[in-house]
Amino acid sequence: MAKLVMAAVTPHNPLLWRAMRDPMPDDLAAVRKNFSTIRDTIRELEVDVAVVVGTDHIRQFFFDNSPAFIIGKAESYHGTYENEVRTFGMDYAELQGHRELSDEISGRTVLPENIDFAVSYEWRLDHGFVIPLQYVIPDLDIPIVPIHVNAALPPMPSPRRFAALGDHLRDTIERWDSDARVALLTSGHMATDVGGPKQFAGSPDPVFDAEAVGWMRDGDLEAAIHGCRFDRIMAAGNITYQYVNAITALAAMNSAPADLAEATESRFASSPFFMWRAA
Amino acid sequence: MSKYMIDKFMHSVEMSNAGVEAYVADTAGFVDAWIAASGRTDVPTGDRIFTAEERDAFVARDYETLYRLGGHPYLLWHFTEAVYTQEFNDNFGWRDLVEKYRAAVAPHGVPDFIP
Repeated sequence: MAKLVMAAVTPHNPLLWRAMRDPMPDDLAAVRKNFSTIRDTIRELEVDVAVVVGTDHIRQFFFDNSPAFIIGKAESYHGTYENEVRTFGMDYAELQGHRELSDEISGRTVLPENIDFAVSYEWRLDHGFVIPLQYVIPDLDIPIVPIHVNAALPPMPSPRRFAALGDHLRDTIERWDSDARVALLTSGHMATDVGGPKQFAGSPDPVFDAEAVGWMRDGDLEAAIHGCRFDRIMAAGNITYQYVNAITALAAMNSAPADLAEATESRFASSPFFMWRAA
Repeated sequence: MSKYMIDKFMHSVEMSNAGVEAYVADTAGFVDAWIAASGRTDVPTGDRIFTAEERDAFVARDYETLYRLGGHPYLLWHFTEAVYTQEFNDNFGWRDLVEKYRAAVAPHGVPDFIP
């Protein structure tokens, strides 16, 4: 059977792409170090395929058609958009898909009973997927299964549904008749505001950040679910809901305490770094 | 009022360089052409067009009003950034825009941005 060998949560802040360059600014050294730790772990554990849970930032999925959960079923994916190249200086990328694992996760003919996935056979992945992968799989040579969970356009899935996704991913991988070694990679934010009055002024809610690190460090799934209720998390910044992707990773790892749990400070809002190695 | 149409407009402009450049080059003409082509013909219901206030806000590139009216903050910031980046100079750059934007939207708190 396949094995879920690790899970990780990273930032996908696209402003890093221009800022985190040599000579490395002092305030970003810890961010780069944490990305490197996860990159090295992926190599050490000889990961064959990565399930990537992230958030489309209103690029492909707009209010005219906004799925709660959507899984990619393509053989390959284009990475990033013209507006992200313009705004963030990103580079276009090509990413390899993994159709067999996509079908295992979503079903090929009938959806699983616990998650109603939408599916996409043509999906251009935005910075929420591309930025983390370019840091932790820099050669983009490991195939991926992308899953978007709506954390941008209300109504969004509740935190408990993110946990259900994590449970489903673990159970599916463990039942998959394959010798593949699988990583679950997710990304998101700590307290972060974009387009509101708290943007680009450091962390808008250090209290939330401290609690949110603790949930992962302690493996406290129920506290995380409670702490991510909509009103509380939106008070921490209008795009903080993307933190909830971390709950998917925590649930997938059976609520184990994370081996790495940190909200790394820099000139930006703090960056989430959480990682688990399978027991 | 149609928050959905505000968001649809910002999204359609900001996603492409051609959209941003056309909007900046002839803002009023672009807005009125967009209303004629997109707001009225394919979506006939009355709540799916701009109000006069919304139309005027886009013509004036008035992000404060668009924020107050409930434009999605993430879309609004990137729309604003794309448009005003065209006008940066030695005396007004990205950080200046951030602070000007913050000062404009802060008095309005966090409007309900759900369409």
